[in-house]
Amino acid sequence: MDQVKIREYDKNKNPFRLFGAHVAAIGEGIKHAIKPKTITLKYPDVSMTLPTNYRGMIRLYKDVCIGCSLCAMICPADAMKMTTWEGKKLPQINYGRCVFCGFCVDVCPVDALKETRVHDAAFQSRRELVFNPDKFNQDFDQTLPVKGTVRKVRAVIDENKGIRYVPDE
Amino acid sequence: MMDILQDIKYVILYPSFFVTIIFPGLVVGGLFILLAIWFERKIAARVQMRVGPYYVSRFGGIAQLLADAIRVAFQEIIIPAGVNPTLYVIAPIFPLLFAFLPLAFLPIGVIPEQGSVFSAYYRSFFDPCVGMGVIVALPTEYSLIAVLAVEAAYPIFVILQAWATNNRFALVGAVREAYLSVAYDVLILMSVIAIAVEYHTLDVAKVVQSGIPGIVANPLAAFVFFVGLIMATSRFPFEIVEAESELVTGPATEYSGLLFLLSMGGSYFGTYVYALYFAAVFLGGWYPLSGFPGAVILFLKAAIIVLFSVFLRSVYGRYRIDQALRNSWRLLLPVALASIVLGIVGGWLWIR
Amino acid sequence: MTAQPNVFTMDTTQIDIVPIEGELNVGPQHPGSGHMRIYVKLNGDIIEKAELDVGYVHRAVEKLAEVRNYMHLIPLVERPAILDSIHMNLGYILALEKIMGVDVPDRAQYLRSLAAEINRIASHLYGTGILAVFIGHSTGFMWGFGDREVWVEVLQALTGARVTNSYIIPGGVRRDLTPAIKEMIEKAIKHQRKRIPEWKRIFLNNPNIRARLENVGVMSKEQAIAWGAVGPNLRGSGVYYDVRKFEPYAAYDRLDFEIPVYKEGDAYARVHVRFDEIEESMKIIEQIIKEIPQGNILSDRFFKQIPPTRLKKHYETHGKIVFPGYYASFRPPKGEAISRVEAARGELVYYLNSDGSPKPYRLRMITPSYRAIYVFEQLAKGARYADLVAIYGSLDYFPPEADR
Repeated sequence: MDQVKIREYDKNKNPFRLFGAHVAAIGEGIKHAIKPKTITLKYPDVSMTLPTNYRGMIRLYKDVCIGCSLCAMICPADAMKMTTWEGKKLPQINYGRCVFCGFCVDVCPVDALKETRVHDAAFQSRRELVFNPDKFNQDFDQTLPVKGTVRKVRAVIDENKGIRYVPDE
Repeated sequence: MMDILQDIKYVILYPSFFVTIIFPGLVVGGLFILLAIWFERKIAARVQMRVGPYYVSRFGGIAQLLADAIRVAFQEIIIPAGVNPTLYVIAPIFPLLFAFLPLAFLPIGVIPEQGSVFSAYYRSFFDPCVGMGVIVALPTEYSLIAVLAVEAAYPIFVILQAWATNNRFALVGAVREAYLSVAYDVLILMSVIAIAVEYHTLDVAKVVQSGIPGIVANPLAAFVFFVGLIMATSRFPFEIVEAESELVTGPATEYSGLLFLLSMGGSYFGTYVYALYFAAVFLGGWYPLSGFPGAVILFLKAAIIVLFSVFLRSVYGRYRIDQALRNSWRLLLPVALASIVLGIVGGWLWIR
Repeated sequence: MTAQPNVFTMDTTQIDIVPIEGELNVGPQHPGSGHMRIYVKLNGDIIEKAELDVGYVHRAVEKLAEVRNYMHLIPLVERPAILDSIHMNLGYILALEKIMGVDVPDRAQYLRSLAAEINRIASHLYGTGILAVFIGHSTGFMWGFGDREVWVEVLQALTGARVTNSYIIPGGVRRDLTPAIKEMIEKAIKHQRKRIPEWKRIFLNNPNIRARLENVGVMSKEQAIAWGAVGPNLRGSGVYYDVRKFEPYAAYDRLDFEIPVYKEGDAYARVHVRFDEIEESMKIIEQIIKEIPQGNILSDRFFKQIPPTRLKKHYETHGKIVFPGYYASFRPPKGEAISRVEAARGELVYYLNSDGSPKPYRLRMITPSYRAIYVFEQLAKGARYADLVAIYGSLDYFPPEADR
């Protein structure tokens, strides 16, 4: 066992140093009150586009699928199940169970499943959460119900501020 | 026609009515407290990397507190089964009342013989110590300690309120308030005695008119009074009575609706009245202006003190009850005694 | 129905005084309790006994593990302590790889350590934030979560999801490190290094916080070992023990780092251990980025099974591993294995027993928060009531992790 150095925190009991520490804490608070480093995203006036390999909602390409059912075997939450649709064996997905792990996308041998970058979708009843293969085939694009246009931004890590938002085309 | 307007003006500007109800009393004080709570949330948000109230109105959500107050006032008042209903309903009114009543004794300006809107009341509000009229609700020569005497009844009613709710968490909060009230009352009274000895008077108006602010004459007393102000009205770091993560809301745990609004208002009104007192005695008050502009200057100085006290929420955590008591008896009491000595020396050498 | 006593006419000799001793139920609906109930027996202001009533968030992970496949268990096993998900994932996969006899390439080991250290920083910031809000310091809470946001963005770029990573699979990892991610990590380290002095001024050296945390919940060295404390709680009491040094896994034997150990054993020392560990983790991350070897990120045994067209499309352009069909249901050989990792809160133990079928026979998880239950109860005896939440926050006890 190598030589280990046991550390101690310094215990100052000097009342003047205590007063100085109080003044330093209040000064730090005032400094941040004057020049804040806000990282709030004012959603939904401003909406963030996620990076390209984000594991969002999944889209099926019906014509490419060969019906091997590997995706249904590997799904951890039993969200993908195979059904017979127009004579072919195709997967259907239940978004009430999906945990967005991305295993089904990775295991499909013909790349019939693809991840989109949509992360916020709203449905009006539980039945709408189950996507039959036709609905699964559609491009998933939901517009936000907001007046006016929504600005799209991307998150970028900044050394001074933490997270900064730059406009995305 | 002009007669009726003159009569109305006489009644409205009569200092006993004007000071307690309009300025800086219920109306202006209530609106200012809504502004202070908005400021507390907004400045804490700026320090904490977020935005705070944003949507309610055009400029930064400034009407958010009005919306919150109206919403809380219309909630359902639930009276639990195991309490005495009469006491439960009237108990929250008393802390608010006694936090606000000291304003009756606090002077907010002087009245010159001519030239001010208040000059009509010069004769009836004449103060022989100062030699001028004084804008005050109840004129007395002992206003320096009359304000504190009325304010000292506040903790008793907080304990009554907590007792009336029959809840263990409220009881722990009330016991903490009882312990704390002894500590801060001593500090406040000692620092005020230092000022009284130094200025040779017990009248706030005379302290202000002497022209020397209390913070210059006796900075130790100013510091002790300021810490006592924060302890008395549950501002951080002494937010011990309503410690949210230990006792759910302290004495006001069981209240909802309009009664909850009244319970929460008590501590903020206390901060406001103490801040007016601090600004008058220690920060120079309304000198050298007189009449209504003097009162406005006093109000602005008090506003700065209130806004600084609520800013401390974003810097400090909360103390434990025994640490607060130990610090106040062990560290601040010697400073208060030193301030009395300083007051004696200053009164003998400097201020005549 | 008894009549309410009339306050003005009742006989004062019949009023009963509320006894000083009583029980307080710091229950699930309380701002300072988390997902559990703490039953506190108070005598005045001193706690005589504090019993933890755990089990509100029990999700039966160990029982569900008997009816799911091995790959299905990866997202399930992550979920108890979701903010520390890389470590929960890593422990399980290490046990599975011991049974299957897979060797993992070097680059994958380094990537596993990288993700684990980033997750350690994020978890310590979360723990400090929770401690701050229990003491009343709301700025510490918001800063903890705001600074954590930067690291969660880095994890999102690396693994594809913010918190529920599912990054580690048997044989290696799922995605590779790209130069864009390296740049993000360097900026995040610079930002965190700028923030630590600000934290020190407003939180660590704030006399108010020091008064709340010094000499609160003191554990001596012998008590810490006898009560079974793990992780930063153990290292705050002067015991030098860390699984990364004593039983190294995943590239820790090739990296150079120190373990902070503090002598005093109170809550303030534990907070200092966590802050120093953030700095040490940043040093480890810098070493990894400089020294990471080239190579595959999945073991050859599975890499050979991926068809070359899919390999070219996904792995060579994006650095993303696609699963061969083997993963859909595989049968490891019969055997049992134990693995230990040093999660952010302490030592995490997995025991896995397989009987040759696609589903495990038994999975047992011992989480670090589970071991903190006894420590919590012992430390709360004799403390003041306001110290209960300070002890809770300084032990970094996370109720869903203890309940599994």
